[in-house]
Amino acid sequence: MERDGFSPIPKNLQFRVGLLLGLAIMVAAGFILYALYARGTFEATQRLTLVSDNAEGVSLGMDLTFSGFPIGRVVRISLADDGRARIELEVPRRDARWLRVTSIFTLERGIVGGARIRAFSGNLQDPPLPDGAERPVLRGDTQEEIPRMVATLRSTLENIEQLTGPGGTLQASLANLRAATERVSGRHGALGAVLGNDEDAKKVVAAIERANALLASMSGVVAKTDQRVLGPGGVVEGTQRAVDQANAILGELRESLKRVDKILADAQSVAGNAKSATQDLGALRAEVDASLRKVTALIDEINRKWPFQRDSEIRLP
Amino acid sequence: MSALEDTFAWFRAWGRAALFASAAAAAALSLSAYTARTRALAIREIYFNAWHVLPGFTLFMALLSMVVIRVTIGLARDYGLAQFALELVFRAVVLELIPLLAAFYVALRSGASIVTEVAMMRISGELDELFAAHIDPYEREFVPRIAAAAISVFALTIVSCTVVMCVAYLVTYGANPSGLDEFARTVARVFGPRAIAGFMLKSFLFGAAVAVIPIAAGLDAMRDHPESVPAAVMGGMVRLFVTLALIELLSLAAKYV
Repeated sequence: MERDGFSPIPKNLQFRVGLLLGLAIMVAAGFILYALYARGTFEATQRLTLVSDNAEGVSLGMDLTFSGFPIGRVVRISLADDGRARIELEVPRRDARWLRVTSIFTLERGIVGGARIRAFSGNLQDPPLPDGAERPVLRGDTQEEIPRMVATLRSTLENIEQLTGPGGTLQASLANLRAATERVSGRHGALGAVLGNDEDAKKVVAAIERANALLASMSGVVAKTDQRVLGPGGVVEGTQRAVDQANAILGELRESLKRVDKILADAQSVAGNAKSATQDLGALRAEVDASLRKVTALIDEINRKWPFQRDSEIRLP
Repeated sequence: MSALEDTFAWFRAWGRAALFASAAAAAALSLSAYTARTRALAIREIYFNAWHVLPGFTLFMALLSMVVIRVTIGLARDYGLAQFALELVFRAVVLELIPLLAAFYVALRSGASIVTEVAMMRISGELDELFAAHIDPYEREFVPRIAAAAISVFALTIVSCTVVMCVAYLVTYGANPSGLDEFARTVARVFGPRAIAGFMLKSFLFGAAVAVIPIAAGLDAMRDHPESVPAAVMGGMVRLFVTLALIELLSLAAKYV
């Protein structure tokens, strides 16, 4: 079967096909070399092992970033004998200068996308991180935080629902408030709202009216009383007269008292005489006592000098 | 023809295609297949299948991928996932879409012509004459066509993929060389040794299927029965489509499942 009738076969067919094949093979080889270069095959690297309690979300080829720039990639993930995950990274030598012995590594998982390994170097003057270093990695997982957040949010929402739901306290409060405002705007105004119902409010209004009437009659009574008490021939005038009379009586009384004073002074002098008389009586008694003692001593003397006298009776004179 | 016979015929056709594939592989491995005549035939086939269509196909692929890449990157930026856009483009367009479209293109262009060609050789008794003259039609007619189809698919795929990667760079970063570092990192992430090996294997299988299935279908035609040609062409093209889809499916499953 020939195709010459449909499209002519060019003379340099072999050259063209060779060119195409050569081009395809060169491009393929070039691409493979580029991929190897991109993977850092021709670059000196150093190893870094990060130890984490969970390597979830970490995948081979993942970047290690520093200030948002990738400086290394994950080449191996394995589970150590102690049950911790070991994430081995390859860092090109030219980028390793960003890692220092004091560098901190974090493994973060966002809601969208894979995990991210980041390096933070606080002080770039510290000594550089040695090859084959092993460092712990700090984890922060948004996805782990979400269930906790949702649980908290749910309880909050439940509380709000209880407050706002039918029969909830908020609704009852609002109903009460509405009733109160309705009363305020009603016939008895704020008084109705304060007292709770219209009948009590009516009573209060009636009480105020009665108090007003009472005050009106009271003012009449006060006027009359005024006249009786302060008017001519009133109580005050009578009292004034009584007081004058009482003053006169008191003057007389004072005179009488002066006279009584004099009598009392006389009585005092009489009493003084009586007192001195009483003092004389004391001296007299002392003399009697002394005479008695002398008589007793005399009898005792006679008794001693008179031994035959068995009769000890002494006859007092 | 009952449904049962239909099913048997379907299995027989697949069986014949598989047998033909192994026989063709054996013939391709024998040194006697590489003669000046077979080489000339292969070069002619490559010229028609690849060289002839390369500019048009590459341009078409560049345009198609430009649209797909713009949409992907625009959407990814809207969703705040711009850092994954280029990787997505590489994985979806470069690794999957272009090889499949290249295989379909070669299958449509040369698969139909190959199956008709072989069916006509069968009907005219040309193949029987070759057997009678102790000339192996596998070595002389089939292996060059299979090799040519495989090379054509490979060449079209490689050239278009390279152009599309350039387009992807230009769409993503513009004519600005400062994106090269990030581009290289994405390439490193996507094109690992396994990905490249899988890509090569898939391209080779696509290329082989594009020639093997139509030739096996052409052999289904019966001598002196020209009415069997349309059935052979139809069956061959359907089987080719199914085979290409299966290869793509298996490669995806091996990579991501």
